[in-house]
Amino acid sequence: MEATIEIRGLRKRYGPTVAVDGLSFTVEPGRVTGFVGPNGSGKSTTMRMVLGLDRPDAGAALVDGRPYRELRTPLCRVGAMLDAGAVHPGRRARDHLLWLAHSNGLPRRRVGEVLELVGLAGAARRAAGGFSLGMRQRLGIAAALLGDPPVLMFDEPVNGLDPEGVTWIRGLLRSLAAEGRAVLVSSHLMGELEDSADHLVVIGRGRLIADTGVRDLLAAASGGRVELRTGRRREAMTALAHAGATVAATGPETVTVTGLPSERIIALLTEAGVAFSGISEHRASLEEAYMELTRDAAEYRAVSREVR
Amino acid sequence: MTTVTPYRSTVSGARDGFGALLLAEWTKLRSVPRWGLALLAAIVLTIGPALLSAANSSGGGGGGGGKPPPGPADIQDLGYFVNRPLADNGTVIARIAAQDKARSGLMARASLERGSPYAAVLLVGDRVRFQSGYGDTDVAGAQGHRWVKLARSGTSLTGFSSADGRTWQKIGSVKVPGQTIAGPVVAVPENVKVERQFGGESISSTPTQGTASFDHVAMTPQPPTPWRNTDRTTDPAGSGGPGAPGGAGPPEGPGGVPTPPNTAVWNGGTLTVTGTGDIGPYGFADDRTRMVLTGVLLGLAAVVAVAALFVTAEYRRGMIRTTLTAAPRRVRVLLAKATVLAAVTFAVGLVASFGAFLLADLMISSRPGPQLPPVTDGPVLRALVGTAALLAVAAVFALAFATIVRRSAAAITVVLMSLLLPYIVATGLPLSVARWLERLTPAAGFAIQDTVRRYDTAISPWAGFAVLCAYAAVTLAVAAHLLRRRDA
Repeated sequence: MEATIEIRGLRKRYGPTVAVDGLSFTVEPGRVTGFVGPNGSGKSTTMRMVLGLDRPDAGAALVDGRPYRELRTPLCRVGAMLDAGAVHPGRRARDHLLWLAHSNGLPRRRVGEVLELVGLAGAARRAAGGFSLGMRQRLGIAAALLGDPPVLMFDEPVNGLDPEGVTWIRGLLRSLAAEGRAVLVSSHLMGELEDSADHLVVIGRGRLIADTGVRDLLAAASGGRVELRTGRRREAMTALAHAGATVAATGPETVTVTGLPSERIIALLTEAGVAFSGISEHRASLEEAYMELTRDAAEYRAVSREVR
Repeated sequence: MTTVTPYRSTVSGARDGFGALLLAEWTKLRSVPRWGLALLAAIVLTIGPALLSAANSSGGGGGGGGKPPPGPADIQDLGYFVNRPLADNGTVIARIAAQDKARSGLMARASLERGSPYAAVLLVGDRVRFQSGYGDTDVAGAQGHRWVKLARSGTSLTGFSSADGRTWQKIGSVKVPGQTIAGPVVAVPENVKVERQFGGESISSTPTQGTASFDHVAMTPQPPTPWRNTDRTTDPAGSGGPGAPGGAGPPEGPGGVPTPPNTAVWNGGTLTVTGTGDIGPYGFADDRTRMVLTGVLLGLAAVVAVAALFVTAEYRRGMIRTTLTAAPRRVRVLLAKATVLAAVTFAVGLVASFGAFLLADLMISSRPGPQLPPVTDGPVLRALVGTAALLAVAAVFALAFATIVRRSAAAITVVLMSLLLPYIVATGLPLSVARWLERLTPAAGFAIQDTVRRYDTAISPWAGFAVLCAYAAVTLAVAAHLLRRRDA
């Protein structure tokens, strides 16, 4: 087992609330795995169990095939950012990273290196209490990278970042995965992961909803639909229905066609002499795909309390 | 998915170990400026009251304006002493014909100087006792004996008793260097009244007169000088006494009736001595060292606050998760925190206690009046170093309790209350209840500051300190257990 996070039948209950309910998935190296679900669906709880902070009621969360609590210099195995606010406001950024480095016997120079890496070198001597949310996120990411670990976990890293920061973090996540690291990134908004995640683990109510590649998910959600724009709607629908397609009018000049690839549609319409002004394969957004997946889980939002 | 080469950390030299955790926790402690200021405040708060009390203690402690008795404050020395020089290999013998509430017998001592070493064989009630020094140490001898003897051999003084004056039974011996004077002595404890109420206590003492008569008084070899009467009533507070020069006159009994003067009268071979004053430990002396260290009660508050915040600040902001992620072996984290905190607060305590004592000493020594004992005295050193240790153990206690409750306010309140409760309520409680509070609560640790055994000493210095240590150890064990078991 190398550089992976393995979740096997994980279960956790807080009083009457089941936060995680029989969850299993694996985070592979070399790609960014998005960990998605509505607020309170159990993402943070799962991550805390991976880090040995909370004890699972059943199942196991393993890093490199071992429980986290057995790791000796854990910062060199797993880097994690759970809560960007978890910094003493009176402590300078540099000192926050310095005690972390000391705790695992990491060389002092790593502090400067990671501060440079996240763009906080100029603020190293400032107390963390004066940091904006975006700066704290960067400090949290710096802490996660301190031991240069092969496994990384970020809980909602995009939260509170400005557009520039969002772009930066997407690039960072992709480059970390490209180096061969296993990267797990949680978000309650699928859209945030659209450009960075390769793989998705979707959960709702603590249960696994989907464990799939981003491309597969989009293809499934798109369902082979083709959008057609034409001034001669009626003729077009007749010709295509005749060829066996399912056709639906979606507007005065637009038609949605299912069951035929776009090349065949073009050929049919040309043959029938029906002019059209546009044809496009419908590409579902990740957000749509996600909404579809979590339709059941979404009901949960109205009644759920935020689980820590 | 194509095969990926898993990433390997490029950071080398990583190690885990207790030393790494100590360094991490030390970095945490020193990097929050506010905590550093609070510990500095602990020093200032400890020293401040010492200077204030030193500044106010001008003029010495007594209405009589007399010079305070030299030597330690917690002794009384002596009663009515009839003496003449005792030669080497000489002996002094006497039979106690009668005595009232007094303790009477023979005493031999180096000089009449207060606090000088002595040996005495005294009839106490119905039993002869060999007494020496000013502690609680004396040796019980035979019951019913009325004859007493002191023999000098070089610097060694040995006490005997006998039923008939012929067969002597040795009770004890002690070394008293230098010249020796010896003879009959009468000692009577003072009549002390202690009244307690909220806000303080008042102690009043009145000298008591006692009488004893001796016969068969003999010293061999007979010295050339005659018997000399020394009537110096014990007067540790320095105020006027019946025998003190410049004293306020004869002691007054209850109701203002003057008591008759102290006398020593020879009538044939019988000596009758009426005297006041006692010899031995004095349970009502001021513990000046401890008074100088009173400010530590304030310094303690700052130290306890920092100790509690050292862990609750992490819980409050979720930083405890970062800590436990970096060091998953949780008990070691707690022990590292406790070690760093103990070391730092011990150092702070040393600066505070020695600072308070030495600065107060500097102020007091420039004026006449009761002085502080020298800093090199064993009990003083124990009190000063013990105060630092007290702060360190209290800090560990607060840290452990804060780990259990995970709330700053609750932790600070409970720990401070447990340490200060006896001081807050004790003066309103009966002495016996107050004493038990001072023995059983963590406040027992303050006993390490005692340099004087007093009537209200509840527990010996080391035993009291051990009580506080036990509280800290048990709380730390519970904290470690909970930290291991609970979700972070």
